[in-house]
Amino acid sequence: MGVLARWEAFLVFVLAATLALGALASPYFLTASNLSIAVAGVMPTAIVALPMTLVIVCGEIDISVGSIVGLCAASLAVCREQGLGIEVSMLASLAVGMLAGALNGAIVAYVGLPSLVVTIGTLALYRGIAQIILEERGVTGFPDWYQEIGFGTVPGTPIPWSALIFVAFFLCFAVFLHATHRGRALFAIGNNREAARFSGIDVRRAILGVFVASGGLCAVAAVVLTSYLASARSDTATGLELPVITAVVLGGVSIFGGSGTLGGVLIAVLVLAFVQNALGLAGVTPEAQQIVTGCVLVLTLVLFGAARALRTAALFRRVRAG
Amino acid sequence: MSGLLRVREAGLVLALLVICAGVTLREPRFLNGANLEQVALSATLVCIVALGEALVIIARQVDLSVGAIVASSAFVSADWLSKHPGGSMVFVFAIGCTVGLAMGAGNALLVVAARIPAIVATLGTLAIYRGAVIVFAGGRQISATILPDSYQAIAQVRVLHVPLLVWIAVALTLVLGWAASYTRTGRNLYALGSDPESARFVGINEGWHLALVFVLSGLLCGFVGVLWGARFGTVDAVLAPDLHFQAISAVVVGGVSIFGGSGSVYGAAIGAVIFAVLQNGVQLLGLNQFWLQAVTGAAILGTVILYSLLARRAERAEREGRRRSVGLGLNRGVGAG
Repeated sequence: MGVLARWEAFLVFVLAATLALGALASPYFLTASNLSIAVAGVMPTAIVALPMTLVIVCGEIDISVGSIVGLCAASLAVCREQGLGIEVSMLASLAVGMLAGALNGAIVAYVGLPSLVVTIGTLALYRGIAQIILEERGVTGFPDWYQEIGFGTVPGTPIPWSALIFVAFFLCFAVFLHATHRGRALFAIGNNREAARFSGIDVRRAILGVFVASGGLCAVAAVVLTSYLASARSDTATGLELPVITAVVLGGVSIFGGSGTLGGVLIAVLVLAFVQNALGLAGVTPEAQQIVTGCVLVLTLVLFGAARALRTAALFRRVRAG
Repeated sequence: MSGLLRVREAGLVLALLVICAGVTLREPRFLNGANLEQVALSATLVCIVALGEALVIIARQVDLSVGAIVASSAFVSADWLSKHPGGSMVFVFAIGCTVGLAMGAGNALLVVAARIPAIVATLGTLAIYRGAVIVFAGGRQISATILPDSYQAIAQVRVLHVPLLVWIAVALTLVLGWAASYTRTGRNLYALGSDPESARFVGINEGWHLALVFVLSGLLCGFVGVLWGARFGTVDAVLAPDLHFQAISAVVVGGVSIFGGSGSVYGAAIGAVIFAVLQNGVQLLGLNQFWLQAVTGAAILGTVILYSLLARRAERAEREGRRRSVGLGLNRGVGAG
């Protein structure tokens, strides 16, 4: 627990350093409108990172999130094409997302297959379905208030509407994971599944639950992202799993399950948002930013691995000395 | 156990024949010599990548970075060749293989030395390698017109009326299949995949073997990168975006258990051919191209569920057989034999 607290303090330091470097890189960086744009741009990733944290804490992984977002965006678009209202379309896309997550969760929890291969399969499956139902069409023409979700700000402030949605979900997830019995049970499952089962936790239902939550929040992210891009396409959010998993791992959640906090993930999301924004202002292309994201992911894991090895070595020394 | 494997491969060949027959019934042009050659050629490249991926998965790891390695190798070697048109082909292959080897070694380092789970390590290197080659290329495309003819000739050479590439893939499949089954290193990979703990206890060097499969996978990808350029003529930085899916689908459908420790390299090769036939069939029958990805995903899920059910039933049968032989008071060795 002490190490985690230190990791979050370190992240706050990194965040401050990012802001300082960004301000050095461009005079426009620390303006309210730029920071608002940076935050709005990362919100889809941030929203999906919340359930991903729960999934990884359980010792599972969900590679299919990008495809679920794409499938939800495609469903939204098809509903609009059929002349349905935007509210109904949003509900339909939420249902599709939860269904997609439920399929992942059911196969992982009740058939007992590893989430890695299941979600690799559904990554292809869901993206394929999105392409089948929407083909290469792009759907636009959303009502003004809907477009506001992605890019608009609360009147009189620089706070994006999407950030408010994120904060609402963040509070729900944080209370659930850290302050409820069922949330704490996820840590037990990630640490030792067998022991969790013997202490009376319904492991299968918990795992099904986190995957359904993952699908549901992917639908929310699809609504925000479609509004942000002002068009829904079947290739929406391709490759989203990389920044999402990077944010969760950078936030100090152990990739082996069983530890981590949502507070850490929140800071990590902000760090990624500002790093990307500063790189963009400095004229770095999105492809090169991808290298930075990949390096951040790998380096964080190397750092964590080294810290673990040091701790183990220290423990050994103490045992031998005692 | 070997009986089960043989059944698996026979089933795969049967599935392949059924798919071929289905496509031929709807569209007789499938059996056209030129068309079959196209199928074989598109199967070879995925097949060679799938061989490396199969060994990785047998050792209970996964390599998502294969597509990025193939693209890097293809672009770097074609770029060198376009600047040195008179360069030797051997040197081009050496460059491609070195790029692949280095990138595979990068994966190995992260998985073995830094002990990062392969799935996240290769997700990270996938982004790094792909980003690196995109930045290196800077949006350039190396087209067939600036590359010497000798380069593309590699893909057109025929031996006994069959393209050389197909012979290479067949030879690699046989060699790696034999090595996996009959060499000590190969058997160690199966041991590590089925139970890493026990494998360590009997003295198998886990780190060395895992490093070997990642480096080998990178090397094969580097080799394929050069062939890729030769086959398609035009090379850019974003080629082969879905290759890791194709390779993993081929391996999984080919009967290699995603839990590691069982399956064969031959199965992965047949899996690659099955997907090449499916792809060609979709094109020939004029079906919507978009179906292909959904079918790939469904095929992965379906086969994984099927194999896990089969494995569970086999386990139950074995347990019951053992109980019965004990109940009859027979010697367990005799009962099991």
